[in-house]
Amino acid sequence: MTFVNKYLAWGAGVLALLIALVFALPGGKARGFDVSGFGNLPILEGGRVKPLDSLARNSLLVIHSRQGFRYQGRTVGPDEWILDVLFRSQVADQQPIFVIDDPEVISLIGAQQKQNRNYFSFGDLGPHLDEIQKQASTAQPIAPQKRTRFQSAIVNLFDRVYLYYKLRNTLQLAGSPGLGWEINSIGTPDANLRHQDLIQLAQFRMLPPPAGGNPDAWQSVGQALSAANTGAPLHPGLVPLAKLNAAYLADDPASFNQALAEMDGVVSALKPGALAKASNELVFNRAQPFYVGLSIYFVAFIVLCISWIWKPELLRPTAYSLLCAGAIVHTLGLAARIILQGRPPVTNLYSSAVFVGWGAVILGLIIERMYRKGFGTAVAAAAGFASLIVAQNLGTEGDTMEMMRAVLDSNFWLATHVVTITIGYAGTFLAGSIAIAYTLRKHIATKVDVETDKALADMAYGIICFSLFFSFVGTVLGGIWADQSWGRFWGWDPKENGALLIVLWNAIILHARMAGYVRERGIMMMAIFGNIITACSWFGVNMLGVGLHSYGFMDQAFYALTIFIASQVVLMGICYAPPRFWVGKPHGKA
Amino acid sequence: MIKTIASRVWAFFKSFQLTIVLLALLMCLVVLCTLAQVEMGTQGAVNAYMRSFIVWRQPMLLYLPFPGGALVGLFLTLNLIAKTLDIKLSWTKAGMWLVHCGLVVLFAGEFVAGMLQVDTNMSIEVGQTVNFVQSYKNTELALIDVTDPTWDEVYSVPDTLLAKGGSIAIPGTPITLKVKRFFPNAELGNLAEGAPPSMATAGVGPGISVVEQPVVSADNEMNQASVFVEPVAGGHSYGIWLASVALGAPQSFIHEGHNYVLSMRLRRQYLPYAFTLKQFKHDVYPGTDIPKNFSSLVQITNPSRNESREVLIYMNQPLRYEGKTFYQASFGKNDTLSVLSVVENPGWLLPYVSCVLVALGLLAHFAIVLRRSLKRRQDKKEG
Repeated sequence: MTFVNKYLAWGAGVLALLIALVFALPGGKARGFDVSGFGNLPILEGGRVKPLDSLARNSLLVIHSRQGFRYQGRTVGPDEWILDVLFRSQVADQQPIFVIDDPEVISLIGAQQKQNRNYFSFGDLGPHLDEIQKQASTAQPIAPQKRTRFQSAIVNLFDRVYLYYKLRNTLQLAGSPGLGWEINSIGTPDANLRHQDLIQLAQFRMLPPPAGGNPDAWQSVGQALSAANTGAPLHPGLVPLAKLNAAYLADDPASFNQALAEMDGVVSALKPGALAKASNELVFNRAQPFYVGLSIYFVAFIVLCISWIWKPELLRPTAYSLLCAGAIVHTLGLAARIILQGRPPVTNLYSSAVFVGWGAVILGLIIERMYRKGFGTAVAAAAGFASLIVAQNLGTEGDTMEMMRAVLDSNFWLATHVVTITIGYAGTFLAGSIAIAYTLRKHIATKVDVETDKALADMAYGIICFSLFFSFVGTVLGGIWADQSWGRFWGWDPKENGALLIVLWNAIILHARMAGYVRERGIMMMAIFGNIITACSWFGVNMLGVGLHSYGFMDQAFYALTIFIASQVVLMGICYAPPRFWVGKPHGKA
Repeated sequence: MIKTIASRVWAFFKSFQLTIVLLALLMCLVVLCTLAQVEMGTQGAVNAYMRSFIVWRQPMLLYLPFPGGALVGLFLTLNLIAKTLDIKLSWTKAGMWLVHCGLVVLFAGEFVAGMLQVDTNMSIEVGQTVNFVQSYKNTELALIDVTDPTWDEVYSVPDTLLAKGGSIAIPGTPITLKVKRFFPNAELGNLAEGAPPSMATAGVGPGISVVEQPVVSADNEMNQASVFVEPVAGGHSYGIWLASVALGAPQSFIHEGHNYVLSMRLRRQYLPYAFTLKQFKHDVYPGTDIPKNFSSLVQITNPSRNESREVLIYMNQPLRYEGKTFYQASFGKNDTLSVLSVVENPGWLLPYVSCVLVALGLLAHFAIVLRRSLKRRQDKKEG
């Protein structure tokens, strides 16, 4: 490798890191308003204090499947969107953000299915709200596994509309003159009714607990108004909030930014530290490390693929350095989540996908250091990319840093059992990915290269040993956790069974190899089947909806899983086929 | 001849083929058991697939027999032992030897759990004192002598005995219970006008219709065991009574100054100690209804040990007492009722022993492999 190549290669990695850094920088002001400062305000929602920006992003993801949208020739970000929803619902109601894909639901609301995706605004849905609610309430009592496609779609739409409806009635009742008017009319006859509505519909609590009170007793605007109505002093946050409201409505950025400073002052006086913590999370949100990471992995993978046919001495190290850059971003993101949440890395399905990807990438990097054939890079980049894609899709259901349900509230066991078992998943997937690489190479490569095949087989074998160790230890630790908290070591619960299947399958592979029943190709086929087992025990058991470990049911994921399994079966077939299969020569001797 | 058979058996039990076939069978069983839980509930599926020697009459297997978990486990253990004995006792294999010993202990632990583990529960309301645990599914017909206001004398007949029918003499009392008809599961309703009269002649029974139902086993379903029974004492019949899990109000009759209550209920096991629920807490995260913690503050009173103390049972923190493990499982009645699950497993220590063995084995194995590879490297350098 020449010096020029070396510097070019590492330059690419540094460039990727710089691009990642650009994401973390604050964006400009929208129409002069300091929207990101507004998004930085801490709120209490879902049991934890977070910046308003997190709520805006997650809500927009739930409603729109993306964190931003284009409207009237401009890109509207989450912070600007939430401002409109909270203060100018007449504008927000016209923005077409509701994605509806199900044709029956579209026809229910009396619209024609358009060519591509179908976006509707709250205003479009307005006349059909009663019908949507009626249909959804008949579907809701049915267990999620047993709903028809239409029923799932209508319940999903209803949930999203209801979330939007709650958001637009959290700080002021939509259509009312505003918070300032509400404060002035405290004590008037109808005020109490409106306060009760506000309390009922509040999606989050924005006013920090007053000095001397219960430190968790954040108040919603409705609660604060209602307290003032009964004679308590006005919450100090209400006035700046009303000023923000008025300034935003009057399109007056200067007063808005001034009122924001006032609000920041109130928050830091009542809850010191909350603002700083919120702004850390805001930076994390903006940086989107996992999205950036998956893009870098993608580029690394493409570069590596090109390297096989063009300038390998330059492109292979470039791909490796890009993979390193991706791994750095991924690691930083993971570390940021651990710090922000105060929890070990794996707390839910989303974070398990992030962690599986991370584990696979790190293992792949180690393999690449050991063998230097480019396969470690290829497999690591592909595995990291794929698992982060899975994570992105799992992360559209709301806050990914949600609070842990009671029985899971144990950092010790989350750190030991959950992490080891997830490393076991990562290892099994990596072994499967190497086997896929082996399979494809066998059919694509023009010349027979016994040495590379053997190296790949060694890698797969080593990683299977590694995964057997981690999945076994993880499973046993899970048993101990179960014994500690439920008084029984093993209960044949679906999730436990899933983990056991991985252990058994890896044990079968090793024993079969030891006894000499399978050689290189057999092990590779078995490793691909390991992918199916791991995917089933990772996601499949969540679809059964039984057992102590099932905390959520996902129906779209079912189709994705089916397709994945089918693809792995096809790959096993390809792996079994002899290399000359495509040429059409008689393939009697395999 | 005998020698060849013996050596063949030996060869069979120590073969790798057997290991792989058994592991594959175990995988199939695990998959089937998991899928079956959707319909049968965890307990039902585990009993059908894992804790049986042969799996019979399962719709998922097209009603064909299949080796059950107990059989596969037994063979796997034999295979493991044969293999372990077959491994040459050399230090290089010491690690693997320990690991496989640990696995034998792990299987033994699951075997013990499968055979001897008893799952029950205890529901206590705040302020209430309870001195028994009750079964989740099994029922009993209790005959309680409540004559003495300070002491209840309980005689109980388990559902398995009721199912056999016939006359059951209750020891210690002059009463014999004649089982007229037993329903493992039934639906009770008000007897419609003009419907054929009930079998019952006394108590609330004559006004109630009983329709037999298929037995259910899913986790969230209950069998409403019901029975028509005729208490006879001193040649005198007290009529035919209907007792059912579905009936709330107690029914009683008086014989020679003794007041007897008849009630069908979940099978109870009385304990030599009692729990009093002092406080139940259900914490949520602020502003949500996501549970953060459940905890029960319990007073244990044990006269035999002259013990009376308070214990807090909460998530991930069960109480181990007198061979039983009590853990916080559920709650109800607007957070005034706490349900503790109770597990009694005499083999609960075995998995821990196994863990230690396997961990030691793996460490030893790694140390041996490391030593070997270091030595090889050294040889290469020198050579």
